Amino acid sequence: MQLDTFLLILRILFIVLLYLFLMQVVIAITRDLRRTSASSEDMDSKGPPVLGHLIVVDSGPTNILPGTRFDLQPQTIIGRGPTNTIQITENFISSEHTRLWFRNGMWYVQDAGSVNGTYVNNQPAREVISAKPGDIIRVGYIQFKLTA
Amino acid sequence: MAQMTQRSSGGFRRYRWTELGLFILPIVILLLEMTQLLLTKLDPASTPDLRKFPSIQELTPIIGLVTVLLLAHIVLNIFFRKTDQFLLPLVGLLSGLGVLMATRLGPAVGDVNQGNKQLAWVVIGLVICLGTIFALRNIHWLARYKYTAALFGVILFCTTLVNALHANLDTPTHDQLKLGPFAFQPSELLKICVVIFFAAYLSENKDVLAEGGWRIGRLRLPPLRQLGPIALMLFISLILFLVVRELGLALLIYGIFLSMIYLGTNKLAYVLVSVAVAVLLGFIGFKLLPYVRQRFAVVGFDVVNWQNWSDADTYFASNAGYQVVQGLIAVSSGGILGAGFGLGHPGYVPVIQSDMVFTAFAEEFGLIGLFALMGIYLFVLYRGFRIAIEATDTFSKLLAAGLTSIFAIQTLIISAGNLKLMPLTGIPLPFLSYGGSSVIGNFIIIGILLRISYNTALERDGMG
Repeated sequence: MQLDTFLLILRILFIVLLYLFLMQVVIAITRDLRRTSASSEDMDSKGPPVLGHLIVVDSGPTNILPGTRFDLQPQTIIGRGPTNTIQITENFISSEHTRLWFRNGMWYVQDAGSVNGTYVNNQPAREVISAKPGDIIRVGYIQFKLTA
Repeated sequence: MAQMTQRSSGGFRRYRWTELGLFILPIVILLLEMTQLLLTKLDPASTPDLRKFPSIQELTPIIGLVTVLLLAHIVLNIFFRKTDQFLLPLVGLLSGLGVLMATRLGPAVGDVNQGNKQLAWVVIGLVICLGTIFALRNIHWLARYKYTAALFGVILFCTTLVNALHANLDTPTHDQLKLGPFAFQPSELLKICVVIFFAAYLSENKDVLAEGGWRIGRLRLPPLRQLGPIALMLFISLILFLVVRELGLALLIYGIFLSMIYLGTNKLAYVLVSVAVAVLLGFIGFKLLPYVRQRFAVVGFDVVNWQNWSDADTYFASNAGYQVVQGLIAVSSGGILGAGFGLGHPGYVPVIQSDMVFTAFAEEFGLIGLFALMGIYLFVLYRGFRIAIEATDTFSKLLAAGLTSIFAIQTLIISAGNLKLMPLTGIPLPFLSYGGSSVIGNFIIIGILLRISYNTALERDGMG
């Protein structure tokens, strides 16, 4: 093999390696982009940790679709005002209606001094009542099921 | 508690593996090309055998460059783990190719040590790049001292203005500051100072500028009080460049101005007005300055029809149009695969090591190599603009976008000039042109971009 053939091989090798490098950059960039979009989706929807859900089973006189899920944070307040964790703008719901919190593996529900009351499994929650997944929590005239 | 343990054990995974992986191919490519360059010095009809292969001693410059790049990678790992992982390999490959090209072209243009000089500049540039990342602990310090930065740039440039006025005023001069054996172009630093000034000014005043103060028909222009400093800065730059006769730099500054105005205020009207003013100024320049006319004449010259040239055409091609015509011949000689590194004939093109290095690359690496080179530049631009998008405050965003625009417009202007699509200017092709100040200026740009990406990553992920 003569030197110029060998040099031809080297030249082609150079071009091939250059394009391999570009491909490597493209692959790394797409991987990077996918990772960033996934993590930003996570970050957008997570925020504070979601420890459970309230699913509407009976929406009473409201227009809320049965089956609507609300995220429950470690400390959740349901009410009509905008400062609540879960805001439901219905007339029969007080500005701060129900307080729920999660401690030591158990949910606790207490009425926050509302007009129409909070009930856990039809028990009035004037004092703190514990609730577990599957219980029906009634806030005013809406019934939710507590799930994990 | 669980989150704490996750942070400390992530040390292995959070090493900059992507960057290290991206370094492998550039290192192989650079070593390969150096070997090829040394092999071309042998007799082409001989058979290659291992004894004639370049020794380690001959490959030392490239091995030195590779070592410095890996050292920079290690420094980033220790101190700035979260910076962008793509910029350094891309820029390392570009600067390595620049050193190789300088080594190759050195003997052809008469300066045998060109490669070593370029290597020295690249190493200094890398050190300055890392220094910039260390020094810019608080980017907003740059914003606070924007008028100082602008003044610094203008003063630097005025020193070369004085220098230029001493020289012959009819020929286009290059702005150069001679410090002993080294020639330094302060315009590189001036560009960065201008971008810092624009970014800081726009980030503070963008609401007022976008709002607009007075109307001309359907056009709203910003109030004079806000428009004043920015327009003044622009006109100072333009006049300086016109006197020193570096039209390419004037075009570059204007392009940066346009892109930053649009990014800062999102008003197409401003861009259109600016373009109209630029066209008007260009027309005036065309009428007044003879060498501007000459450069435009080169663009209009018909090279393809060379067999039917008149005597005047032949005269033009041998004198005024010689550089660009020879450049085009070189590009076409390269063909698709190229003549081969070290196997082309760059001696025919004047100033091939700095202004026309694009044609040298095209001749020896062909169309395919040229596309790959453009690909590398495009990736650098992509990362630069991505850093700008992800930045968390307006000043960083505008600064990153402005610096990337410098890089983009430079590459565009000189590539178009080499290919006779635009009048040829003296703008250097970033990292590939032989010239220390361009290398250092571009490394400072990369350093600032890396720092901005580091700040963004810190804010996003926390200190972990």
